[in-house]
Amino acid sequence: MASTTSRGARLAIAAAIGAVIGGAAVAGVALAHDDPMPKNPSPATRAAYVRHENFEKLGKTFKGLNDELRKGSPDVAVVKSSTQTMLSLANSLPTWFPRGSGVEARPMSEAKADIWTDAAGFTAAASALQVQVSKLNQAAASGDIAAVKAQVRPTGGACKGCHDKYRQEKKS
Amino acid sequence: MAAPGGVRARLWDGPVRLFHWLLVGLVAFCWWSSGDHLNWHRWAGYAVIGLVLFRIYWGFAGGGAARFSSFVKGPRATLAYLATLGSRARSETPGHNPLGALSILALLATLVAQVVTGLFAIDIDAFEGGPLSDRVSFELGRQIAEWHELSFRVLQALVVLHLLAIVFYAVWKRTDLIGAMVTGKRRFAVDPALDRAPMWRFVLGAALAAAIAWIASKGFRF
Repeated sequence: MASTTSRGARLAIAAAIGAVIGGAAVAGVALAHDDPMPKNPSPATRAAYVRHENFEKLGKTFKGLNDELRKGSPDVAVVKSSTQTMLSLANSLPTWFPRGSGVEARPMSEAKADIWTDAAGFTAAASALQVQVSKLNQAAASGDIAAVKAQVRPTGGACKGCHDKYRQEKKS
Repeated sequence: MAAPGGVRARLWDGPVRLFHWLLVGLVAFCWWSSGDHLNWHRWAGYAVIGLVLFRIYWGFAGGGAARFSSFVKGPRATLAYLATLGSRARSETPGHNPLGALSILALLATLVAQVVTGLFAIDIDAFEGGPLSDRVSFELGRQIAEWHELSFRVLQALVVLHLLAIVFYAVWKRTDLIGAMVTGKRRFAVDPALDRAPMWRFVLGAALAAAIAWIASKGFRF
């Protein structure tokens, strides 16, 4: 009876330890976050880092716009300057991806190789964003807040459309 | 009343079972909707807020095996229970045993972390976000979204452990935990004669939890 007793207990303890180790491993990976630009980066590496900053800026601006639109009476000036910033970023976006600036230039890069192997598809996705952001900017320029509110969803959809196909999530 | 085969006695009350199975459905739905249906994901998240608040309330206001005081034990009782784990005797604990209690507390704490991070999280596209995401910067909202994902991994691990424990009790201890959570009844040597909370407490808790979940969905703005 003693041997069966310890077998059952060992089974349960092994399961518990396994779950704890698994959780800790996931946590460890997720906490290794810092990835500063190396000294004297190659042009491709620099491009990968600058691209990341540009996307951060684009996301930050779009978030600022969405936050503003959620207010009772959005500030038209804030809305206009946000969409202008987004438009100029969206228009320059295709230049942020020089060949060789993917994971080979920065291991943490979330750019998929498909950006370059499927260049036509990627260009189409970037153009789709430009079309939506251009509409967004026009709506803002006319001062029509309702039209801007109606246009943010297709704009977010254009971001997502490209992210789903050409971005890989890095869990770190 | 110690009949030879034992007696089928009431264990889990209706609110606990309703909470459990709604939570199973909602967590599964949240997982599925986290990819492409963040609007539905948000609504399901508000429902989880209500459920978790209700369960915490019910841990104090509910009856019998639902109460935290009935199942949360100190380290000595937990170690003593651990020592009996290998025995093939049927489980006679009327509700969560001291080890299961740790699992329940861990699950509830992880669910709290899950919904709190969800309130502030923002999607990579900077469009879909929790109702409080406008209170944090894009960078912080993204960081919180990563924690949201991390706490979900922890939740998944806890659910796997939960399922393994159910299999362990079914196979090793010949105790059917799933049936008990469906019917509310389980076989015991002697009826533990658990007390039940009055209906009004359930109605009050459900109404309070639903109201707070609704307010959370509005980002605590009026």
